Amino acid sequence: MAYLVSRLMSVALTLFLISIVTFGITNILPGDVAMMIMGTQSNPEALEGLRQSLGLNDPLLVQYGRWIGGMLSGNWGASLLFNEPIAPLIAQKVLASGLIVVMTMIMALAFAIPLGVWAARHRDRWQDTTSSTVALLGLSMPDFFIGIMLILLFAAGLGWLPSSGFVDPSEDFLGAVRHAFMPSLALALGLMAHLTRMTRSAMMGILNQEFIRVARAKGLPERTVVWGYALPNAIGPVMTVAGLQIGYLFGSIIVIESLFSYTGMGWLTYQALLNRDIPLIQSTIFVIAAVVMLVNLAVDLLYRVIDPRIRLG
Amino acid sequence: MRKFLSAKALIGLALVLTVVAVAILSPLFIAPERATQMVMSARLQPPSLAYPLGTDQLGRDLLARVMLGAQTSLMIAVLAVGMSIVLGLPLGIISGYFGGRIDNVLMRIIDALLSFPALLLALTISAVLGPNLQNTIIAIGIAFTPFLARIVRGEALRVVQMPYVEAARAAGTRDGQMILRHILPNIMPALIVQATISLAFAVLAEAALSFLGLGTQPPMASWGLMIQASRQFLALAPWTALVPGAALAITILGLNLLGDVLRDVLDPRVR
Repeated sequence: MAYLVSRLMSVALTLFLISIVTFGITNILPGDVAMMIMGTQSNPEALEGLRQSLGLNDPLLVQYGRWIGGMLSGNWGASLLFNEPIAPLIAQKVLASGLIVVMTMIMALAFAIPLGVWAARHRDRWQDTTSSTVALLGLSMPDFFIGIMLILLFAAGLGWLPSSGFVDPSEDFLGAVRHAFMPSLALALGLMAHLTRMTRSAMMGILNQEFIRVARAKGLPERTVVWGYALPNAIGPVMTVAGLQIGYLFGSIIVIESLFSYTGMGWLTYQALLNRDIPLIQSTIFVIAAVVMLVNLAVDLLYRVIDPRIRLG
Repeated sequence: MRKFLSAKALIGLALVLTVVAVAILSPLFIAPERATQMVMSARLQPPSLAYPLGTDQLGRDLLARVMLGAQTSLMIAVLAVGMSIVLGLPLGIISGYFGGRIDNVLMRIIDALLSFPALLLALTISAVLGPNLQNTIIAIGIAFTPFLARIVRGEALRVVQMPYVEAARAAGTRDGQMILRHILPNIMPALIVQATISLAFAVLAEAALSFLGLGTQPPMASWGLMIQASRQFLALAPWTALVPGAALAITILGLNLLGDVLRDVLDPRVR
């Protein structure tokens, strides 16, 4: 319990620091919101008037206070680019990206776990080499390049999948999955390298243990030993790595969603950055950093719940 | 394992040396105009004798562009990683060596920064400063600093507990001396490993930034920009994407292999 309390305190502190970084970065921008609204050619007096009314002449600390107050009370302001309130906009995009994140994780684990197990069972043989080569290749191809190759193959070549766009899962679930398929696959191929390596090393550690030898001595089929006995004990570290990859994933998702014109959180962030929509930049990067931090926290806590060998304390 | 390891080392080293050689030598042999010269009669040509890797949508020689792109890519990666070392090394050492309150405060800030995906941080900084060559380097350099500081701190923490540090302290060595003589040399192996892996990520980040239009700008020869430009003509001229994509994959693969091998050899935490 004491652990949980101290952990939550540190979460609050980190969120506070994240907000300062977010606010700080966007305030080094040359030009400000008033300039974005009125354009660079506008009348200096009118510009000054707008600055005054938006509170841009207040000290930075006051501006920060107003911004964070708004964020906390759910008033996130309006996007200059989309002319819409930011909070509902982000909520909708987070859901769209959620589909990609979930599909990516499923695909990455579906590739990585069998590949890692296979490598661990045939340590230092050709299977091991093959597995690490495949993983390294995935790691070395930029995901947007993989994405382009997938478009070339599945959309332009075979015509099986749509090359771009987004479909709302609540309206057409199958269509949504079809549109999210290629972006997720491109991300998953990049993600699986670390997961494969982690599965391999965790499995190798487990396969050497006494209880595995006992299970084999009992005459259990190898399949049961590997998948039923060893894997459940090796999955913890793999899941931890998967959780830690979420941060990396949220970086890559910006590139991939833009490539596939998939209008999720990554796409929204990119549009905000490209058009220097300062209020939207602040909100999107704050939300992404907060989500990354909270996912890491959740993974950490979950790991402690699942694995009794780690005590809360 | 040893056999595979050495094969891995050789391949990694060969790939990296090739890319480095191309990056250094090609500006000497290829006039920069070769990469920007547009030949309207030779647009989107497939690979041929005149153009071994084909041409792009403006009739520019892809071989010349991809070779000059190696220089762009490596220069940005090396400078950005160098910058993250200049910023992150002192932060990490101070944090790990002095510990206590300084460590607490610094690591809180680093933790907060680590919550921002590195690519997002780099994209944001680049967008904020205005995308160009110099700001791409700054953006990637800053984005990588928290990782580096974190790793250096961990190593410094480990080294500080070593008996030889205790012995030096007992002999009356001052902090400055201690850091330069005992701490720094002993975190070097981990730093070299991390720098190599960071180079791979920096090449990737530069390509991603340029691909999104928030990195290097046209008409510069950059692999990310080339892939971006190829998108429109993908079905018509797939080689315009394949050539820079393969160059990126070769470079990143080489650096990753080298990083892996260096880790096996140098990193005390492995085995």
